Amino acid sequence: MTMDCRTAQGKILAKADVLLPRQEEAELADHLAGCPACAADDAVTCATGPVLRSLTGIRAMEKAPALDAMWTRVRAGIEESRESRRRFSWLARWAWIPAAVALAASALLFYPSGTDQTPYRPSSFDVAVENVESDVATVALVDKGEDLPTVIWIIEDAKT
Amino acid sequence: MPRRNPRGRAGAPTLFLLLLLLLVAAVPSEAADTVTVDVGAAYASNEGTSIDPALGTIRGKLRSMFNYTSYRMLDRKRRSLSVGETGEFELPDRRSMRATLLPSRGDKVRLSIQITEGPRNLLTTTLGLRRGGMVLVGGPPHQAGVLILIISAE
Repeated sequence: MTMDCRTAQGKILAKADVLLPRQEEAELADHLAGCPACAADDAVTCATGPVLRSLTGIRAMEKAPALDAMWTRVRAGIEESRESRRRFSWLARWAWIPAAVALAASALLFYPSGTDQTPYRPSSFDVAVENVESDVATVALVDKGEDLPTVIWIIEDAKT
Repeated sequence: MPRRNPRGRAGAPTLFLLLLLLLVAAVPSEAADTVTVDVGAAYASNEGTSIDPALGTIRGKLRSMFNYTSYRMLDRKRRSLSVGETGEFELPDRRSMRATLLPSRGDKVRLSIQITEGPRNLLTTTLGLRRGGMVLVGGPPHQAGVLILIISAE
């Protein structure tokens, strides 16, 4: 069966898109061999594909640096976000330690014990001595005013 | 992706709470009718010129009151006493002190004090002082100097 030009036009486009089956491609070739107009159309159509592909490649090469820069920024953003999450998690994990140490130190500091060795810090020297007695010594009461502590001095055998 | 150990996350706050409870339990909660009697024994002599930092703010006062050049803390003990209760404090050289808390009003503290050396009664006295107040009892010989007892009540 002889192919007409209208059918050949559709097959030329299909061939350019590499969608034409081998059998039909042979039929189209027979038609193109006997039809100079369709053969010219086929030549133009076949040449258009590589030109378009080249143009697309050139545009992609032009945009490549900008795309690279964008990806670099995206990667950096992702990494920064991961890092800050890691830092926060580290803080959340260990932040209780200083608080616990402070609490333990306070507990040790204020724990009541029988031998408290904190330095003396008296708030008053106001003392009333109601009576003083000794069976074996002389006792002197020394009161030098409110700024100094009252002293009860025991004098044994006039030794001190 | 690594996952955190949930037991580790729960352990930290639990430990924190335990420490908090320990602190609350450790802070002394003195009842109003108890008094903590604090008795320190200091050795005063002319051997050297050092003054024990444990004597705190009374270091300068000791210097201005006595002629000794050296003061060193030998011992210090505390007893919490209720009214009528007697606390015994061991002192150097086989001496001892008994303190009995007597009834009093306001922030006053009344203490009956008896200092003995074996069977000998060195001193019997009754003192009235404020909470946080202090009185000194000195004179008993010790080594090359004397003992000074620092009696305070809180």
